Amino acid sequence: MSYQFDFLAVAREAPELAAGLARTVELTAVACIAGLLIGIVGAVCRAWQLRPFNTLFAVYVEMFRNTPFLVQLFFLFFGLPTLGIDIAPDSAAMLAMVINLGAYAVEIIRSGIEATPKGQIEAAQALALKRWQIFLHVVLRPALLRVWPAMTSQVVIVMLGSAVCAQISTEELSYAASLIQSRNFRAFETYFVTAGLYLALALLLRQTLLRGGGRLLKRGRP
Amino acid sequence: MSLVNITGLHKHYGPNHVLKGVDLTVRQGDVVTLIGRSGSGKSTLLRTINGLESFDQGSITLAGQTIGSRDAKALQQLRLQVGMVFQQFNLFPHLTVGENIMMSPRVVKGESPHILREEAHALLAKVGLADKFDAWPDQLSGGQQQRVAIARALAMKPQVLLCDEITSALDPELVNEVLAVVRQLAQEGMTLIMVTHEMRFARDVSNHVVFMHQGKIHEAGHPADLFSRPQTPELQNFVSAVM
Ligand SMILES: Nc1ncnc2c1ncn2[C@@H]1O[C@H](COP(=O)(O)OP(=O)(O)OP(=O)(O)O)[C@@H](O)[C@H]1O
Ligand SMILES: [Mg+2]
Repeated sequence: MSYQFDFLAVAREAPELAAGLARTVELTAVACIAGLLIGIVGAVCRAWQLRPFNTLFAVYVEMFRNTPFLVQLFFLFFGLPTLGIDIAPDSAAMLAMVINLGAYAVEIIRSGIEATPKGQIEAAQALALKRWQIFLHVVLRPALLRVWPAMTSQVVIVMLGSAVCAQISTEELSYAASLIQSRNFRAFETYFVTAGLYLALALLLRQTLLRGGGRLLKRGRP
Repeated sequence: MSLVNITGLHKHYGPNHVLKGVDLTVRQGDVVTLIGRSGSGKSTLLRTINGLESFDQGSITLAGQTIGSRDAKALQQLRLQVGMVFQQFNLFPHLTVGENIMMSPRVVKGESPHILREEAHALLAKVGLADKFDAWPDQLSGGQQQRVAIARALAMKPQVLLCDEITSALDPELVNEVLAVVRQLAQEGMTLIMVTHEMRFARDVSNHVVFMHQGKIHEAGHPADLFSRPQTPELQNFVSAVM
């Protein structure tokens, strides 16, 4: 093998990589927050069987958990314009990620809500709290704490999955990588470094979410 | 005057007829103890009084107000007057002891945090846990948790306090610290309706004991009479088995 590795060729493209990384982080952050909100609202509708929303959310969840992310993305970006709804690559990517994560979040958070011990609800009822007050003050935080590791894993999965958004030319990390290797013809080095960046980001994201989320949800409880 | 008035109360769980026409009157300041074998309907009766269980027939009035068995608003009103302490404590694990006590009056009644804080401290002092305001429930022993649960119920200033076997989940050495709090409440004139297997305590503290048998009030009266001169063979058996 006479191939001469040249990682400098990738290093020179650091600004490009950094910009891609930033876009990936940005997409993930929005997906995480919006997905969590969708998850909470959807989980309540499902757990309380609020008609007709429980059925709507059930359909939504099944639709998006049982189709490939890439197809969801293409549908939004290439399909919607057919209906006269034009959508920019970045918006399509963001929307796809939010919707995808939201679908998983509904089910994850619902399982946390449904694991609430009956005694907690009864104690709150006996204290004259109304149903939504019980949800807000008694059920929600312990439920999120219970499922936070699962939620964190799902956010990481969605972050990694965002790589396919390059297919609709969202300029995130894998888009930057493909651009760089088409310029310097250093596919090995470029994707090696890119993989390393994804790995680091995934580990960092997982730790940050687990620690930060845990701390936020526990508020100093040992 | 009568505070709680239960007449002709029936309750089914599916085909299982668990309350078969219960009549019970509780006056202000009464300490009523429900005793009876497992499955006789003690918990069910207690839980209908604050609407944790619905009922099929009969009526419950509280301070003259009739409680419909399904109207959410009426339930709310009812629960503002009736506190409850459970066998399993059921403290909220994500809130500190102080927050456990202040949460409901703050959320439900919108009372000011400043006043609530003072009241919570006073209640904790009353149950002998003055230094636990900032502790977390899982840092406390069972007996301490149960005393916090009592303080939490009292924070709503209920007219009646329901206690369902509140010492049954405790290690024996922790039972007395909880009973002492209940005894003090009784002496202060709190209206109590409780289920307990602590017969000696029931005899000392209550002024009315109700023996439940197969979903009915089988025998009732002052503890001195009931325990020393049980009239029915069922109560005679029960008393000789548990005392
Ligand atoms: N949620 C429920 N669903 C169906 N049946 C129930 C339910 N709760 C209680 N029962 C039944 O109702 C009857 C009365 O139960 P209850 O809990 O009131 O008895 P208890 O006197 O409190 O007994 P224990 O001393 O064991 O607590 C029992 O036959 C019980 O099996
Ligand atoms: Mg019981």
